[in-house]
Amino acid sequence: MARLLEIRGLEKQFLLHILNGKRIAALHSIDCEIEEGEILGLTGKSGSGKSTLMKCLYRTYLPTAGQILYHSASLGPVDLARADEHTIIHLRRTEITYCSQFLQVIPRVPALDVVAEPMIRRGADREAALGRAREAFERLGLPTELWDAFPATFSGGEQQRINIARAVISGPRFLLLDEPTASLDAKTKDAVIDMILELRQSGCSIALISHDAHTMQRLASRRLHLAEGRMEEEVHA
Amino acid sequence: MNDMALNSGWLLRVRGLTKIYGQPDGDSIARTGPQASTNICPVTGAIVACAGIDFDLYPGEVLGVVGESGSGKSTLVQLLYFDQPPTAGSAFFTALDNGTTDLFTLSNQRRRHVRNHLLGMVYQNPRDGLNFNFTAGGNIAEKLIMAGSMNVASIRERSSNLLRQTEVPVARMDQTPRTFSGGMQQRVQISKAIANHPPLLFLDEVTSGLDVSVQAKVLDMIRQIQSELGISMIVVSHDLGVIRMLTDRTLVLKNGRIVESGLTDQILQDPQHAYTQLLVSSLL
Repeated sequence: MARLLEIRGLEKQFLLHILNGKRIAALHSIDCEIEEGEILGLTGKSGSGKSTLMKCLYRTYLPTAGQILYHSASLGPVDLARADEHTIIHLRRTEITYCSQFLQVIPRVPALDVVAEPMIRRGADREAALGRAREAFERLGLPTELWDAFPATFSGGEQQRINIARAVISGPRFLLLDEPTASLDAKTKDAVIDMILELRQSGCSIALISHDAHTMQRLASRRLHLAEGRMEEEVHA
Repeated sequence: MNDMALNSGWLLRVRGLTKIYGQPDGDSIARTGPQASTNICPVTGAIVACAGIDFDLYPGEVLGVVGESGSGKSTLVQLLYFDQPPTAGSAFFTALDNGTTDLFTLSNQRRRHVRNHLLGMVYQNPRDGLNFNFTAGGNIAEKLIMAGSMNVASIRERSSNLLRQTEVPVARMDQTPRTFSGGMQQRVQISKAIANHPPLLFLDEVTSGLDVSVQAKVLDMIRQIQSELGISMIVVSHDLGVIRMLTDRTLVLKNGRIVESGLTDQILQDPQHAYTQLLVSSLL
């Protein structure tokens, strides 16, 4: 397997000016790798730094120190910790997708269009993208009457399914998945897991956060445990 | 938001853009800015509306500019749209002479050409962007004629298409915007601004003062125009929700200076500068 990502000495501190310059250390010297096509599971208690690590990889958080070497299909090796913003924007549009547990709704855009949008942006035909979106909704059991509705008023589980569908059909090369099954029932959970496994089959590499043992067990090919911002142990599943 | 070509380089390059009102001395810039918490020179009374603004805008990119009232946001786009001349600085635009000519050195005639063919502006107040003595169609026609369209039938057709695109009832094309609601006036302004397919559009607080349902409609329209036409945009707003929805990258201005710039989600979730942290934590 080829290497997709190498993290070396990654540190993240938050400097809070509004708290008189208080520093909060969230990640300490993180080292790890992700191989192409693997699903790396991140475990650890709430506040252990899992989401901080994911957000550093997506550059929503600016790493304080260290290197995140990503081997891009189009650009070759890129240090995500330091790359210029236009490079990050390009990678987000073509290779790297972040799927959070919360949907950021776009006012007055129907569910189907929300899901089809990133695929269209990546060059897909509009009708084809909408077709894929419908297919995903069907598999995830989203009631048909919601497909053309605005997701702002949807339930947590419905919004989560929209997020998953949006991330999966965009065909990412590297997917950051933060709690994909948190507010879903067992049947829907398995539908989500099956979709993610198919995505992996197609060559996508995934970093996964989940507190759900079943989800972790079915998906993760390898696990890393975080405690108080440090990498603790590596478990081969 | 269209895919931007990574290696095509910048569309607009702004360097050292500065606007000072009044009679500054050599130290007025040093005496103002975020470290002094003011943009008024305590010695000369000169107002440093913005100073030393540097940024690059890429093709297809939507850049946000945020900051409090008086931070210099509107001045910045007004300078770039030639509404007023800068005190110092340069701006290069690849749509003109392949980006080799500083926009601020152009003759009046060439400046008009750039403004009419290559730029679009939507102001906060529709009265700044529309002539309320003309009809809605007449306002758009004016922009088309300034860019050289002469054929009355084709101007009328293009105008009605633009109104349709921005969801203004075509039946009202021959009425003056004076009789329109605020949201409709804003949509006529947008029609006019995009009439000549400009590669670059400035949006200055376009949804401020509109109620939320109308605001959502205008924002959605801007997103659609952006994704269909791939226009680069500079979006000025004090509303972080608007910035989050529309932009990829954001500049944060305070007292006429850029205090922070970055990916919009990074600015909103991991703000570095004290002022940005305060701004983000003030979000409703």
